[in-house]
Amino acid sequence: MAALLPPLLDILSIVLILVLVALGLVVVFGLMGVINMAHGEFFLLGAYGVFVLAGAGVPFVLAVPVTAAAVGLFGLVVEGLLIRHLLHRTLDTILATWGLSIVLKQAVTLVFGPASVSVALPFDANLTVGAFSYPGYRLVVMAVAVAVIAAVAWVYGRSGFGLSVRASIERPDMAAALGIDVRRVTRFGFAGGAALAALAGALVAPMVSVDPQMGLGYLVPAFLAILVGGAGLLSGVLGGSALVGGLDGALTLAVSPVVAQVIVFALAVIVIRLRPRGLFGGRD
Amino acid sequence: MAAGTRRAELPAVLPLLAFGLLALVPFAAGDYWTGQATRWLLFGIFAMSLSLVWGRAGLLCFGQAMFFGGGGYGMAVLTLGIAGGGAFAAPWLALPLAVAVAAAFAALLGAFLFRGSGIQGAYFAIVTLAIAVLLEAAVRGSYALGADNGLVGVPPLPLGADPWNPVPGYYLVLALSATIYAALDRVLASPVGVILTALRSDPRRLAFLGYAVVRIRIATFVAGAAIAALAGALFVATDSFASPKLIGFGLSAEVLIWVALGGRHVLLAAFLAAALVRWTEALLSGSLGDWWLLALGGGFMASVVLLPRGLLATPLEWLAGRIRRLPR
Repeated sequence: MAALLPPLLDILSIVLILVLVALGLVVVFGLMGVINMAHGEFFLLGAYGVFVLAGAGVPFVLAVPVTAAAVGLFGLVVEGLLIRHLLHRTLDTILATWGLSIVLKQAVTLVFGPASVSVALPFDANLTVGAFSYPGYRLVVMAVAVAVIAAVAWVYGRSGFGLSVRASIERPDMAAALGIDVRRVTRFGFAGGAALAALAGALVAPMVSVDPQMGLGYLVPAFLAILVGGAGLLSGVLGGSALVGGLDGALTLAVSPVVAQVIVFALAVIVIRLRPRGLFGGRD
Repeated sequence: MAAGTRRAELPAVLPLLAFGLLALVPFAAGDYWTGQATRWLLFGIFAMSLSLVWGRAGLLCFGQAMFFGGGGYGMAVLTLGIAGGGAFAAPWLALPLAVAVAAAFAALLGAFLFRGSGIQGAYFAIVTLAIAVLLEAAVRGSYALGADNGLVGVPPLPLGADPWNPVPGYYLVLALSATIYAALDRVLASPVGVILTALRSDPRRLAFLGYAVVRIRIATFVAGAAIAALAGALFVATDSFASPKLIGFGLSAEVLIWVALGGRHVLLAAFLAAALVRWTEALLSGSLGDWWLLALGGGFMASVVLLPRGLLATPLEWLAGRIRRLPR
C-alpha cells in the first residue's frame, strides 16, 4: 500500500493542475465564446512570475498570489485591447489569441532566453509516515489546488457574482435586461481565468523545468479534458480532467511519456467524436 | 449568389503577372537563393491547400501540416527503402504513392470526423490541433523514422544531369504552382465553388437543398490533403531531409498565419503570402532574431482584428475591381 500511494498521488497532482488550467479555459469559453489559445501562456507567465519574484527574494507564499493577481490584471488589459473586439466571433478568437500566444512566448524568450530555468523548491522536506514518504511541497500544492477549486465552485455555484456569471452564460440578453452588467461579468471572468492559469503555473514551477514553450503542453490536454468532459461546467471539467490527466499520468508511469501522450490524445479524439457533448455534459 | 461569383476569382492578368515575375527569380538570384525560393513556392502550394479547406470550405484545420509532413515522410521512407523494400525507391514512383497514402489517410480521418453528427467549427480546430501534436510526438518517438533527427539523405528528383543545379527544380515547382492555382481557380469559379461557399456559410441549407454535405466536406478535405502532401513530398526531396518539424503543430500554425495574413478567401493571396513571409524571414531573421517571430505574431494578431480579409487579399481585390472596370 505504501508503495502504491506515491504514484497515485503523482497522478492526482497532475489531475488537479489540469483542473486549474481547464477551469479558466471553460469559464472564458462559456462566458464569451472565446477559445483562448493564449491560456497556456498565462500559465507560462505564472511560472516566470514566481521565477522573477523568487529571484528577487520575495517569499514564495507571497510570490504565488502576487503573480496570479498580476496576470489577472494583465488579463483585464488583454480583454480590453483584443478580446473585446472579437466577442462571439469564435474562429477569429482562435486566431487572435494564437497570435497573442506567439507574442507572449517570444517576449518571454527575449527577456529570459530560450533555455529552461528552474525555480527552487520553497521547502524541501518529505512527509514520512512509516514506509510511506512523499515530497511535502507536492502535498501542499495539492491542498492549495483543492482549496482553490472548492473556492471557485463556491463562487460559481453559491455567490451573487457566480449567479451573474451563470446568468450571463445561459441567457446574456435576459441577464442584461435584469440589470446585470454582462460586459463587466465577462471582463472579470476573463481576468479570473487568466489568474487561475497563472496560479497553476506558479504552483507547478518548482516541480518542472520552466521554459518558454511549456504552455502548449498544458493547453492541449486542458482543451481535450474540457471536450471529453462536456459543457457542464464543474462536472465536465472535473470528470474530463480526471480521465485525461489520470490516464496520462498512469500511462506515463507504466510505459513512457510519449506513448502516454499519443494514446491519451488519440482516445480523447475518439471520445470527442463519438460523444460531441462530452461524457458528463448532459445538456449543451 | 450574385452572378458575379461565377467567374475567376481575380482577372487573369494578376496571377499571370505574379507567376511571370516569379519566373524571373533564377535570373536575378544565385543558386543558393533559387534553391531557397523553390522551398518558399512549395510552402505557397501548401498555403493554397489550406486556403481551399479553410478559406473556401470553412474547415479551420489546425493540423494541416500532418499532410505536408505525411507526404514528406512518405516520400522519405519510400525512396530510402524503409517502406516498400526499395520497390518504390524511384522518386517518380514514390511521389504519387506518398501523395496517395496521405490522401487515403485524410479520407479515413475525414470520414471518421465528419460523418454522422460530425465535428465542426471550433471543435474541429481543437481536434486537428491535438492530432497534429499527437503525430509529431509519435514521429519524434519512433526510431524507425529517425526520431528527433528525422530522416536524412532523401534522394533529389532526377532533373537534368547536375543534381546540384536548383534551376530545373525551381521551374518544375513554379509550373506546378501555376497549374494547381489555375486548376483550383477553375474549379472554384465553377458551380463547385458556389457549393463550397455555401458549405462554409450555411451547411444546413446546403443539406436541405439535397447536397451530400458530408461527402463534399470529405472530398474537399482530401483534395487539400493531397495538395499539401504533394508540396511536402517535393519539399523533402528538395531538402533531402524529412524533419519532425514538418509534421507537427509548429508548421500547422505557421501555414495558418501565412494564409490568414494573406487572406484566406483568395488563393493567390495565400500563395504569395507564404512565399513572401518566408522570404522576409530569410532576409530579416538574421538581424532581428527572436524579434522576428514577435513581430509576426503581433502582425497576425493585428490583422485578425483590423483587416480580417487579409493584408494581400485586400489590395488584390481592389486591383481586381479596378481592372474589371477598365474600358475594353
